[in-house]
Amino acid sequence: MNPIIKLENVSTVYEGENRPAIKDVNLTLERNEIVYVVGPNAAGKTTLLETINGLLPIFKGKVSVLGLDVTTQGRKVRCKIGYVPQDFMVEPGEPYTALDVVLMGRYGKIGFLQRPEERDRMKALEAMRLFGVEELAGRSIGKLSGGQQQKVMLARAIAKEPEILLLDEPFSNLDPESRGKIPHLIRQIHEENELTTIIVTHDIHSMLKQCHRTLLMMNGRILMDSNPEKVLATINNKSITFSREVGQ
Amino acid sequence: MIWLEFTIMGRALLSCVLAGFLTGLMGVFVVRMRLSAIGYSMSHGAFAGAALGVATSMNPLLTGMLFASATAFLIGPVADKARLHVDTITSIVFPLNMALAFVFLTLTPEIGLTSQVANVLWGSIISMTNSDVVCLVTLSAATLVIIHFTWKELFAIMFNRKLAEADGIPTKPFIYLIIFLSGVVVTVSIKLVGGLLVYALLFNPAASALQFLEDIKKVIIVSPLIGAVSNLSGLLVSLFLDLPVGSCIVLVSTIIFAVAVLLSPKRRRTEVEKN
Repeated sequence: MNPIIKLENVSTVYEGENRPAIKDVNLTLERNEIVYVVGPNAAGKTTLLETINGLLPIFKGKVSVLGLDVTTQGRKVRCKIGYVPQDFMVEPGEPYTALDVVLMGRYGKIGFLQRPEERDRMKALEAMRLFGVEELAGRSIGKLSGGQQQKVMLARAIAKEPEILLLDEPFSNLDPESRGKIPHLIRQIHEENELTTIIVTHDIHSMLKQCHRTLLMMNGRILMDSNPEKVLATINNKSITFSREVGQ
Repeated sequence: MIWLEFTIMGRALLSCVLAGFLTGLMGVFVVRMRLSAIGYSMSHGAFAGAALGVATSMNPLLTGMLFASATAFLIGPVADKARLHVDTITSIVFPLNMALAFVFLTLTPEIGLTSQVANVLWGSIISMTNSDVVCLVTLSAATLVIIHFTWKELFAIMFNRKLAEADGIPTKPFIYLIIFLSGVVVTVSIKLVGGLLVYALLFNPAASALQFLEDIKKVIIVSPLIGAVSNLSGLLVSLFLDLPVGSCIVLVSTIIFAVAVLLSPKRRRTEVEKN
């Protein structure tokens, strides 16, 4: 079986930096796998996601996604990835509605010179309904709370009908009730659509419940690739501190 | 003679409306894509080019266009290739263009404020020729067609460039397109308001529309209208008070911006929230 995501000995260096943000990373993900990534600040978690979707150019190694080389065919790859960036918040006066933002998620898929059609709009609204933000469709995105904006961003990623989900701390701004429900919902969407999903999180509890595989990253390397219980034990043994309190 | 004056006035009115419409339209992209520093540098590039045209008796529109394009090329692809930050490259290119403009103006055979030099500096409605009007009409049509076909991508890039890139949109070609189009629009507007003030035409209408509206689809319609109204009102004020047209247009558009800020529903809400 061909892997969906394959990183071979990959290092990524940010412009102007001497030290790689991720170093000699090897990782293989099959279809339908859901993986949580944890680690302290500057461990390379966000860099890992942005290396997979080709937003950051690699310095060394090879990244293949859906059988395509990300370095040469990054745009094609990104059309098939639902991505939620870390701490994405917009200004209060942002002149875009929530529906605009969700619908935009499908633009890469629609293709150059093509306009979104009614089907695209329906897909966007359907994704918003899943995350309980359908009634906010016509409201300015900047006027929504942090949690609502995060749900809109999740809906945007799902509306794309992706083959891969890359979610960077997607639960950080959610209220406690949503924080209980949304990881479960993502798991459900992941299974129904046979996606390959990587979630960066500080929320160890959701990790324990929702996945069988967890990566622990430190200093740009994958320190551990195991089940969440073992990773949690390692975190506790090594007294690794996260930027947000573990378990919050 | 009356016919001649009518022709001059007709050209002036049409040029003002079209230039205001175009700069108001392009300004939305420039402001939303955070290309203001680039727009500023290109305006002065066009100014330096027009000055060279005056000094060498070449067509200032052509030389202005060449300089604006060269500036756009330096700030866009070349700076990207050299991995120079936009602040760095614009901080270098802006004073360079100003220095070149003043050197070229000094090279003019009759040093001082000859009418041609004054036109480049402050703009003039009388200097608008039929070919300038044709150029503005063609450019307006071409710009509208280009924006119509690339609207989806521009809409996404204006929201967030990184997200657009993550969605599979190649953002660089569209940003270069906006930079080059803005350069051309600024160049053809220089004759009207002058090289020192033309940037205000690009920035003020969009900034005013964004004070009032919360839907970018409305902003893209209202900003060109504000641009056209500012230019037309500025022209009328300049005729009544016998003042330079460029200055009057910029003063009117600045007043519109100030009123927009004062009456902005966004700001009123912010104050209510504070209380």
